[in-house]
Amino acid sequence: MSTLRLRGDLPERVDLLNITPLALSGLSEAEAGRLAIGTSRRGLTLGDVFEIRLDGSDSLVIEGGSSRLDRVGAALSQGSIRVEGDVGQRLGEGMAAGSLTVTGSAGPFAATGATGGTITVEGDAGDHAGGAVYAAKAGLDGATLVIKGAAGDHLGDRMRKGMILAGSAGAFAASRMIAGTIVVSGALGDHPGYGMRRGTLIAGSHGALLPTFVETGTPDLVFVRLLAQSLKRLGAAQAGLLGGTLRRYSGDLATLGKGELFVPA
Amino acid sequence: MAAWVKGGAADVDAAVEAAADLLAASRVPVLAGLSAEVSALRAAYRLAETLGASLDPVSGPGVYAELGALSAGGIMNTTRAETIGRADVILILGNRPWDGDLIAEIAAAAPSRGRAAGAERALLSLGGPQNGATRHVAYAAEAGGLAVSLGHLRAFAKGHLAGEAAYADLARRLFAAQYGVVVYDPEEVGELGVEMLQGLIRDLNESTRFFALTLADPFQGRAAVQLSAWTTGQAPRVGFGRHQPEHDPWRFDSARQIASGEADAALWLASLPAPRPAWLGSLPTVAIVGEGSPEAAGETADIVITVGVPGQSVGGALWNERRGVIAYAEPKAAAEAQTAAGVLARIRDRLIEKGVSC
Repeated sequence: MSTLRLRGDLPERVDLLNITPLALSGLSEAEAGRLAIGTSRRGLTLGDVFEIRLDGSDSLVIEGGSSRLDRVGAALSQGSIRVEGDVGQRLGEGMAAGSLTVTGSAGPFAATGATGGTITVEGDAGDHAGGAVYAAKAGLDGATLVIKGAAGDHLGDRMRKGMILAGSAGAFAASRMIAGTIVVSGALGDHPGYGMRRGTLIAGSHGALLPTFVETGTPDLVFVRLLAQSLKRLGAAQAGLLGGTLRRYSGDLATLGKGELFVPA
Repeated sequence: MAAWVKGGAADVDAAVEAAADLLAASRVPVLAGLSAEVSALRAAYRLAETLGASLDPVSGPGVYAELGALSAGGIMNTTRAETIGRADVILILGNRPWDGDLIAEIAAAAPSRGRAAGAERALLSLGGPQNGATRHVAYAAEAGGLAVSLGHLRAFAKGHLAGEAAYADLARRLFAAQYGVVVYDPEEVGELGVEMLQGLIRDLNESTRFFALTLADPFQGRAAVQLSAWTTGQAPRVGFGRHQPEHDPWRFDSARQIASGEADAALWLASLPAPRPAWLGSLPTVAIVGEGSPEAAGETADIVITVGVPGQSVGGALWNERRGVIAYAEPKAAAEAQTAAGVLARIRDRLIEKGVSC
């Protein structure tokens, strides 16, 4: 297990794109220490910011966190990264496979564009978790994102594929959602599913509902039972939500209208 | 022409030197405001490149509300002249379009060319004032705001909702247009609402002609978008900390950078009027402001330099909303004022002499 131990407070945002177990496996500690991760003209390197211990394994632990650690685990394609603390924006951006865990909270755009693997945030996630960044075609795109705490606004914005589990979410959850599944054990904020085309959003409760979502009854769906099975495998609290009768709303009728919102009846 | 350093009157040379010292000492400087003529914007981007700074126009929220929808799916826009000449149905969204003379000008004329020539012009409003001097049919907005209202309207336009609701009537009126135009301010409608509206416009174009006339922000944001595009290939919120222009609307939001303590120095550029940022005074700041403005005073910032106001005391290329282009504005009176571009270039020259280079 390789470790990066944060030396102290970060004087600027740092970009950990490409700081993955695979990228570090072929480097000596001195070589890794010279990798540029700063975002100002001062040219901060990995060695300036972290004490580095590498053993060539496919697991990396970042000891100490900061809301200025951007793109942790971005483009991760194998192995695991565990951050003991907080991270900044774009956690696991474009990640393809592997396991990424943050024991603290994540900034905005967690798991944006991630196509595979599992990303777990044990604390809260900022706005646009699983959502698309500026000009991107999709947010979460096949990966699994688990947020044990609260997610901010625009959870799963323009999400295309994959699954998001969260404890609660802010306003405009599943906005412009293209497809995929979001299960929130607690409450959603106002206007979930704005511009939603397809996809499934299941929540304990919701704020103001859009006038373009219409109730379609309380169907007993095989899909829900299958989803509950798969959530149990993830060990998620959200599975309990699926045991009772669910009321279904269809929307967003302003767009394609093939999305669905389920809440306990 | 005046300058202040630490509240005391100074000559411009001393203020330029002090500004260069302040910026050279910073790690994460931001250049904000950017309410200025094109030559000053160009000089600001050059200064940022030398300094490794990021840039953020005061018009950022409005600019990105429109750019977000543009980058996602494109937008169908028209011009003020085309609207006045061709449109038989005008939908006015929200309150902001009613502020200037645009709506009165549109209401005063009828379509004179194109497929709707000779027709009557109908003015419709959604979420705007219910009465006023200009006759129009007013539809109230939903409690959720304009974005929610536009989604509701689009559901009726698509035929996904039916009935005798007010929005069903509005949708019928829009489809009956021969050449329709929606007038709106992107910041008031918001990015989600703009995207929904542009989707509605695409739906309307299945059977008729419909376009948007978006209001420009009053702080040269459109000029900044164009200049940033031809200078960096990116939209305005770019940073040069890593020797190349990086675009990131979240990371380079100057208000966020300053509130979080990431930015450690700022340069506020406003040769044209701009709302005074709440953060002035909270970090070392250089202010380059128009002469005669309320900010032209020693207490505005650590270093304050006044410059000519484009279109007033100096000439300058500015966004012309009426024409929808960048156009040169002559000074109204001959004056010897220094330009913002000149001051920014002098600060940059001093930084290069000090060995600062990104």
